[in-house]
Amino acid sequence: MTATLVLVLAFAPAAPPADDATPALASARALLSQDRPREAIAALRGEDDSDPRVQLVRGVAHYHAGDAAEAVTLLGPVVDRFPEGSEERREAVQVLGLALYLAGRIADAVPWLERTREWAGSNPELLQILGTAYIQTRQADKAREVLARAFEVSPDGASAHLLAAQMMIRLQQEAMAQDELAKAIAMDPRLPHAHFLLGQLALFRGRFDEATAATRREIELNPADNVAWSQLGDVYVRQQRWDDAVAALQRSIWVSPFYSAPYILLGRAYMKKGEPGTAEAMLRRAVEYDPNNKQAHYLLGQVLQQAGRTEEARSELALAERLQGAAGR
Amino acid sequence: MSAWNGLLAAALLAATGSDWRVRLVDVAEQAGLTHPSIYGGLDRKRFIIETNGAGVAWIDYDNDGWVDALVLSGTRLEESSRRERSWPAGEAPTNRLYRNNHDGTFTDVTDKVGLRRTGWSSSVCVGDYDNDGWLDLFITAYGQNVLYRNRGGYFEDVTAAAGVATKGTRWGSGCTFLDYDRDGRLDLFVANYLVLDLATTPEPGEGTHCLWKGVPVNCGPKGLPTDTNLLYHNEGGGRFRDVSEASGVASVKGRYSMTATSFDADGDGWPDIYVACDSTAATLFRNNRDGTFTDVGVASGVAYSEFGNEQAGMGLAVADLDGDGRLDLFKTHFADDIPAFYRNLGGGLFEDVAMASGLGVENRYVQWGTGAADLDNDGRPDLLYATGNVYPEIEAMLPEYPHRGPKIVFRNLGDGRFEDVSTLSGPGATTPHSSRGVAFADYDNDGDLDVLVMNMNEPPSLLRNDYDGGNGWLELRLEGRVSNRSAIGATVAVTAGGRRQARPVLSQSSYYSHDDLRLHFGLGSARAAERVEVHWPNGAVDVLHDVPGGAVRTVREGESPAPAGEATTPGSARAGR
Repeated sequence: MTATLVLVLAFAPAAPPADDATPALASARALLSQDRPREAIAALRGEDDSDPRVQLVRGVAHYHAGDAAEAVTLLGPVVDRFPEGSEERREAVQVLGLALYLAGRIADAVPWLERTREWAGSNPELLQILGTAYIQTRQADKAREVLARAFEVSPDGASAHLLAAQMMIRLQQEAMAQDELAKAIAMDPRLPHAHFLLGQLALFRGRFDEATAATRREIELNPADNVAWSQLGDVYVRQQRWDDAVAALQRSIWVSPFYSAPYILLGRAYMKKGEPGTAEAMLRRAVEYDPNNKQAHYLLGQVLQQAGRTEEARSELALAERLQGAAGR
Repeated sequence: MSAWNGLLAAALLAATGSDWRVRLVDVAEQAGLTHPSIYGGLDRKRFIIETNGAGVAWIDYDNDGWVDALVLSGTRLEESSRRERSWPAGEAPTNRLYRNNHDGTFTDVTDKVGLRRTGWSSSVCVGDYDNDGWLDLFITAYGQNVLYRNRGGYFEDVTAAAGVATKGTRWGSGCTFLDYDRDGRLDLFVANYLVLDLATTPEPGEGTHCLWKGVPVNCGPKGLPTDTNLLYHNEGGGRFRDVSEASGVASVKGRYSMTATSFDADGDGWPDIYVACDSTAATLFRNNRDGTFTDVGVASGVAYSEFGNEQAGMGLAVADLDGDGRLDLFKTHFADDIPAFYRNLGGGLFEDVAMASGLGVENRYVQWGTGAADLDNDGRPDLLYATGNVYPEIEAMLPEYPHRGPKIVFRNLGDGRFEDVSTLSGPGATTPHSSRGVAFADYDNDGDLDVLVMNMNEPPSLLRNDYDGGNGWLELRLEGRVSNRSAIGATVAVTAGGRRQARPVLSQSSYYSHDDLRLHFGLGSARAAERVEVHWPNGAVDVLHDVPGGAVRTVREGESPAPAGEATTPGSARAGR
C-alpha cells in the first residue's frame, strides 16, 4: 500500500499558491513541495479553518504524512467549494480519491478517482490504481479497460484479459481471475502465461490434476519457461511424486539456474526422499540466490534440526522467524 | 466391461468412501438443545469481539456416567454504539448446561447448577483441580474469566477466592488445566487473544487491517496489540498463584493466542503446552521440568506451515494420527489455507505433512473446532472440523466464501493418508452453519462418538453418529490417585487386532472446547484390546491385558502396575511402538 502511495503521488499536481495566499499558506505549500508534510501542518496551525485553501493544504499534508483518514475528513467538506476546472479542485479531487483508497474506503474512492480521468486520463499511475480499485470493488470489465490502457494494450484483446487476471490474482480475487483467464484462453488458446496462471489458481485450491494439466499446457507453448517447470514441480511435491518433482524442477534450473523456488522445492523433495545431504545442498543454493527467503531458511533449519545439528538449525530458524512478514489475515 | 476395467472400478469405489458407514444427524432440537448462542451481529460484525465465538464441552458434571452438554454463549453490541446491549429480563443470553436424561434428551439445568452468566465467553477447560472427584470448569471470556468449583453437582464461582481473577479487562481465549510440576494437583494455563479496547478499535474498513480482499470488514487481529499468557500454580487448599513471569510463560510475546492444550509433546514424561495462534507462529511451551517453560515451537516444527509460513491457527487436535504410537498434532486455520498435520517424528520434532496426507483439498472455509475422533471405530482416528466465516458481509460479494459452511470430515485411510468424506457423512455434516467450538463424546453410550457443535447465533448442533458398521470399541475412564484425579495429562496406548493407537487425556482441544474425558478407542474387528497401557501424569504406568470391548471401563491408577521391565520408561506410549 505504501508503494502505491509513493507512485501515485508522482502524478499528483500541486496547485500553485494563489496570489492572495497568506504567508502561512505559501510556506506550507513550499514545505509540501520539499516533502516536509508534518512541518506544513505545523505551519498552518492557527490559520482560518473556514478557508477552503487552508483545509485543502492541510488535507494534502495529512495525506503525505500517511494519515489518510484525517485527509478524508479535511478534504471531503471543501472539495466542491473550489471552482470547476481549477487546480485546487483537481488537487482536492485527486488527493481525496487517493486518501479514501488508502483509508480502505475503496468503493467511496472510485467516483473521485474516476473524476481524475478528465485531466489525467492517460496517466498510467492513475489508471493502475483505478484498475486496482475496480478489481477490489469487483468491476471486472472496468478494471480490464483501465488496466489495458495503463499497459498500452487493446482493452478487448486476450492480453487485456490476461493482464486483468494477473492483477486480480495479486489482489486475491481468484474467482474473478479464473473468469478472465477463461476469456483470454477462449480468444487465444496459445496466449503465453494464461495456462500457467490457471495452473496456479488450481494449485491454490488443491486441484492438483487440473494444476498439472494447465501447467503442462503452458510448458507445451514454451518449454523454456523455467517458472512453469518450477510450478509443475510444486504440484508434484504436494502430491508426493518426488521423482516427477525432481525431474521437473531440474528442468527449471537448467533453463534458469538463478531462481530460488525450484531449489526450495528440491530441498523439500529430497528431505522426503530421505536424502538430507542433497536437500541441504539445494536449500543452501536457494539461500545463496535469495538470502531473504524465509521458506529456504525454514526448510534448511528443519533439515539441520532433523540431522541433530541443533546450533546450525537454530540460526536458520531464527532467520526464518525474523523474515516472517505481515502474513495472516 | 473388461477385467481391467472391473479392477479399476473396484479401486475407485474403495477410494471414494463407499464403505464409509458414518452418518451424522443433527438431533439437537429433539434432544432439547434449543437455546441459540448469541454472538455479535447477524449480517455484519463491526468488531473482532463479535467474530471468534466460543466453545462447547462434554462433561459428566453429576458423575452419573452420562456426559452432559455445556454450550457457551456471547452477547451482542448495540446497533449504533459500542456498548453491550441490555436485554429484557429473562432474555439475556447465557452459557448453558444441559443435563443428560439418559434417553437421548437433555434438560437445561443452567440456573439450577449456578452457571447463568451473560458476556463474551470464549473457551472452557475442564479438570478436577481440588481432587474431590467432581469436575470443575474454567471459562475464559472478554472481561473476566471464571473458575467454577463443582460442589457435588452445583457450581460455585470461586474466581477471586482462588486467585485467578485477572486485573482489568483482558480477552481470555484458550485455557488448559495441567499438572506441570507433577505434584498431583492441576495447575492452570490461560491464553489471552489480544488487547481490545472497544472504545478505540477502528470501524470496518478504517485501515489496512480492516479489509479482506478489498471488502471493508472488522479490524484485526493484525494491527491490534497482542497480549501475553498466564500460568497459575495450584498451591492446594483451593488457591492458585500467578507464576506467569517466573515460569517464562509471559516472556513469549507477539502472539494472538487461541486454543490451548497440554500433552507430552517430546515424550519426556512431562506435560508441555501447545497454543494455536492466530496470524502468528504457534507456541509450544516445552516443560523444562523445573517450573519453567521455553517456547520451542519453531525449532520443533509446529509453529509454521510445511514451508515455514505463519498461519492463522484456530483449533487443534492431538492424537496418534498415523498409528506409530506417537501423538501428532492437527491444527485448523483461516480461509485460503489448509490445516496443518504435524507428524511426530520423535525426539520433540514434528513435520507438517498435511498436503501429502490429502488434507489440502479444501481451503475456502475458515476452519474451527476439530477432533481426531475414530468415527467408524476402525482403530484409526478420523478428522472432523467445523467451518464458518468471520465476515458475514463477504459472501454477497465473494460467493466462494460462504458465511455458513459444512463440517469437513476426513476418513483415516491408515497409510498416513486421509480422504474427504464430508458429503458421505450425512446431513449433519453437510448442513451449513457458522460454527466454532466442537466436542466429541458418546453421549448416548451406544458405542460411537457423537459431536456437539457451537453455532453462531443459532442453537448448537448435536450430531448423533448413526454408524451402522460392526466395529468394536472400548472406552476408558481414568482415575488418578497419586496423579491428579481427573488424569489430565495421561496417555493411553491400546493394542487391538495387532494395531497400536495412543490417545491423551486433554483438558482443552478442538476450538476452545473440551471432549469427554473418557477416551474412546475403536477396535476394528477385534472384540477386546490385547493390551492397554496407561501412562499416568506422575510417571507411573499401569498395564492391562485382554480388556473386553463394548463397554466403558474405569482404570484406577496403581491397580495394574506394569511389571518391572514390561512398560519401558515414562513416555514410552508416546515414543515408539
